[in-house]
Amino acid sequence: MKKKIFLFLSIVFLSLAPGRPEETSAKIKAIYIYNFTKYIEWPESYKQGNFVIGIIGNNNELVNELNKMATVKTVGNQHLEIKNISPTSDIGCHIIYILSDNSTQLTEVIENNKNKSTLIITDKAGLAAKGAGINFVVQENKQKIELNKSNIERYKLKVASSLVELAIQVK
Amino acid sequence: MKYVVKGLGMILFLLIASLVNAQEEDPLRVAIAHLQKGNLDSAKMTIDQLTADPLAAKDGNVWYYRGFIYKSIYNKWEKKDKASHSRMEALKAFKQSLALDTTKATIAENKKNIKYLTTTLYNDACTSLDSIDYKQGIETFEQFKEYYTLIDTSKENLKQYNIKFLHALGSVYSKIFEDAPDVKKEIKEANKNKKGELLKLAVDAYSKIIILDTNNTSAYYNIGALYYEHGANLIRQLDYGTDIPTLNDAQDNTYSFYRQSLPYLEHAYRIDPSRKETLYGLYSIYFSLNEFQKSNDFKRLLDLMERK
Repeated sequence: MKKKIFLFLSIVFLSLAPGRPEETSAKIKAIYIYNFTKYIEWPESYKQGNFVIGIIGNNNELVNELNKMATVKTVGNQHLEIKNISPTSDIGCHIIYILSDNSTQLTEVIENNKNKSTLIITDKAGLAAKGAGINFVVQENKQKIELNKSNIERYKLKVASSLVELAIQVK
Repeated sequence: MKYVVKGLGMILFLLIASLVNAQEEDPLRVAIAHLQKGNLDSAKMTIDQLTADPLAAKDGNVWYYRGFIYKSIYNKWEKKDKASHSRMEALKAFKQSLALDTTKATIAENKKNIKYLTTTLYNDACTSLDSIDYKQGIETFEQFKEYYTLIDTSKENLKQYNIKFLHALGSVYSKIFEDAPDVKKEIKEANKNKKGELLKLAVDAYSKIIILDTNNTSAYYNIGALYYEHGANLIRQLDYGTDIPTLNDAQDNTYSFYRQSLPYLEHAYRIDPSRKETLYGLYSIYFSLNEFQKSNDFKRLLDLMERK
């Protein structure tokens, strides 16, 4: 007689895989950057063509996030354009974001943009005091910004007082 | 003398005839006969009437056949029905038979049938564990547990089944929670605003595993990963146009979930420092908390592990 065999199915379950943390960090910075476009006013001559954000350094997650943002957001009537640039680039950028690994290039960027209306953003402690308009900092584990008003206005940019109040002010 | 013999013969015939007649009318035999002929509806009707009789209801053999008839109905018509009524009736009957009939052979037969039916319950519970049928799966697993203890008194075995099931259940909640690609659109839509609820259900499932097995790395890891993902989702869902005060509030909420995640991931790491998922989880959480030194330490450990 054939013997019946009872088999218990084995259950397959997968562990949850957290998403890349760099993407969340990039999203926070992208939101900040978009806010800067709302709280800072560029001269009339900069209100034509694309609104260009130049990135110095390598951070794929940030570039991807900014590119995603560029597909859904505009600055007034201007389309956002994200470019990887060199510190000596001739491209007239509205914003230049120097990533932390490239912080030593700040002096070069300042020199190269002294007659332009460019908001210079950095990502390393102390750089708001060394020429950056806005510097990303971490405070109490959270992403915050330092703002140096005179460094922003030096480039003929107007910054809203509400942004100044939301930032850690550096002189 | 001739008449005496004739008379005795007649009495004997009548006696045998009445015995045969009695046998033919024995409802249990009638039910068995129907079962043997495959007339399951008639078998069911007869056995139902019989078990309603208080005297017959004390006979373990009657319950055994009731179980067998209902098991046959389940096998013939209800095998694809995960909420099969006949399967449960069969199990109840075998359980009753087991309680009434203590002969070795009957106990073995009852247990064999219970084992078969509990196996189908367990398998149905497992196959129900998808985003649509998981509630049925939970119900079926509870039924499995009730009857499994009749055939296996080992608490350890039942505990292992419990852990496996809870893991699978936690995975289902997690899948719906994280909108996994294999979750149907309508399920995603129905649970769109229930993320917090799903998180709680998933965490509850994994927490129950920790109660059963305090060193279950996977359960600790999964709770940590769930809190982490929930926190990260609060940021991912933000619109690029979100204002800075709202972004700061979102960061506060996010970091509180990261903080909830951390002890679970750290515990998972203490139990098993070589588990890659945990190392990646800790690298991620410290990165997200902007504690880059610690994040880099875990990244290095992870890289070392991957090179092995």
